[in-house]
Amino acid sequence: MKRYAIIALLALAACKQQGGAAEPAKGGPPPLLPYQMRAEVPSGDRLAAGRDGKALFENHCGACHLIGGMGTNLLTKQRVMAGETPDKGLLANRTDLTADYVKQVVRMGKNAMPAQTRVDLTDAELDSVAAYLGKAN
Amino acid sequence: MKLTLPPRVSPQGFDSALQAFAGVVGKDWVMSSDADRDAYSDVYAPGPAEQWPASAAVAPATVEEVQAIVRLANEHKTPLWPVARGKNLGYGTSAPRMAGSVVLDMGRMNKILELDSKLAYCVVEPGVGFFDLFEHMQREKAPLWMSVPGNAWGSVIGNALEHGIGYTPYGLHARNLCGIEAVLPDGDLLRTGMGAMKDNPAWHVFPMGYGPTWDLAFSQSNLGVVTKAGVWLQPAPPASLELIFDIPEADDIGWVIDTITPLKISGLIEQNVFIPSWLGKMVLKGQRKDFWDKPSAIPEWRVQELLKEHKLGYWQVALRLYGDESVIKAKAEIVKAAMARNLKAPPVENWWHEGDAISAFDITMGIPSAVPLQMSDWIGGRGAHMGFSPVVPATGEHVLGQMHRSRKIIDSFDVDFYASFTINGRFANNVNMLMFDRDQPEQIATMKKLFNALIDETAKAGYGEYRTHLGWMDAVMDTFDFNDHALRRFNQKIKDALDPNGIIAPGKQGVWPAAYRDKAAEGQA
Repeated sequence: MKRYAIIALLALAACKQQGGAAEPAKGGPPPLLPYQMRAEVPSGDRLAAGRDGKALFENHCGACHLIGGMGTNLLTKQRVMAGETPDKGLLANRTDLTADYVKQVVRMGKNAMPAQTRVDLTDAELDSVAAYLGKAN
Repeated sequence: MKLTLPPRVSPQGFDSALQAFAGVVGKDWVMSSDADRDAYSDVYAPGPAEQWPASAAVAPATVEEVQAIVRLANEHKTPLWPVARGKNLGYGTSAPRMAGSVVLDMGRMNKILELDSKLAYCVVEPGVGFFDLFEHMQREKAPLWMSVPGNAWGSVIGNALEHGIGYTPYGLHARNLCGIEAVLPDGDLLRTGMGAMKDNPAWHVFPMGYGPTWDLAFSQSNLGVVTKAGVWLQPAPPASLELIFDIPEADDIGWVIDTITPLKISGLIEQNVFIPSWLGKMVLKGQRKDFWDKPSAIPEWRVQELLKEHKLGYWQVALRLYGDESVIKAKAEIVKAAMARNLKAPPVENWWHEGDAISAFDITMGIPSAVPLQMSDWIGGRGAHMGFSPVVPATGEHVLGQMHRSRKIIDSFDVDFYASFTINGRFANNVNMLMFDRDQPEQIATMKKLFNALIDETAKAGYGEYRTHLGWMDAVMDTFDFNDHALRRFNQKIKDALDPNGIIAPGKQGVWPAAYRDKAAEGQA
């Protein structure tokens, strides 16, 4: 229970650091966690280069890798155990990822994450996402 | 993954089939590299994923493209394995039953065609995931809820067609399907029910048709490729109350079932009531090694310690009532009085009202989540799971018999016992979750032997599974043995009549077309 409580707190901390959707709007219902209400899929030809990597990441990868998602929960635990701050559970906050590494994990899968097909994310979309996440390049 | 050609197709014949497919969908949507084949393999396979290899994948964007591909597949004798979004995790993911089949990935067909808030239904294509539909309903401010499975990453239609189960009043997902459009094995296009009449507005509201009703003939089926379907949705309730009962002993499940089933059948309880054993709660609290650091099953004395330390009962009933607050209050009194006949401790009560937050871990309130999949971290490494899922009548007698039988078998293999029962009305689904590390061959070998023993012993007692992994599709079909396997013979007669080339999903659920019946012995776990 303790461990679970810690993970929940870490996720909340990550959320606040992100300026995420943790604060309820006045008078209305509380906003959903980001992974439950992703941005709409960016328009445009899925095979064309140069689309918005952030928007593509948030739509195609967000169900697991935005705040509150399964991937974020597991990675937060991993990063904290590795001595890093909980906000590094969010891939968007990582500074140690290279574009090539991102591409490899997406296509090959890693631990609980299955490999993604080219229907899940086209090569052109993956290039954009890898450029967005690959801050160590 | 190296290329495995479809049976009796030459490398040249295969290339010309792929070129023909590319002529329909464009070369970028025909995927046939080693990496593509890896991505379409069963990542959770009990054993090497090479047992169920796809040769390639093709992804159409329209109904017309599906029809064209099916016609070309007949011409080139290249069988297709349709998947909606390919996230049937634990049952084969997107991998085909027959080696060398071409995956027909419907993921690009992801349009929400209609959302009717008044009559509470939607019409969607197979590529629409639970997250997509949920977000669309939020943007439209539709006062509707979906019923979601534990892993909501997958397809709304795909999950319903595979007989997926959720935990709301709309939890029997196949029953939510109303009006299907399917491409038949010869490329023809059929609309079921009232949709058989051009532009009939009752297509997605009347659940039968004129004459035989075919909607569910396309579920767990290889008779066609579903290209759209109506899905009924739940009107969003103004309030909800969760009653959490911790049930102390394993054998208490008998009286729990006998208490809840009549309330469910009468309609007082509307949802499918999910009753997991204690391990279902523990898997989200950390990793197995934190609680028991030996490979052997967690012994009973340690189970009792853990229950005490974590203040858990052996089972937990988290029952939810939906509707107007006054109605819920009246229903809750009846439920509490019924449970109090056997349980002194009152339930924990959690009220929810429209506008309140919903926990990400709660799958009884229509919000999609993949968070329950975190249980894959319990074992560590490349964690995977399989579910042994027989169906029994929802009485204490049947449920206790089933639990004792499967527990004895699982104990004899020195594996942790992690069961759940879901009361759906007159029947209960029993899922025995078997978790393993994909990189530990001895664990996989044990799981396979255990799974075979569970199928055999459960069938001897007279019960069958509702769904299974690729590697056991034939073994489970074998257990449906009335009148010399009349069901399989009937399915195969229909299959051969509609699909003489056996082009759609050969071997799906143990139904083999004549063209590939000699392949049934391969790919069995």
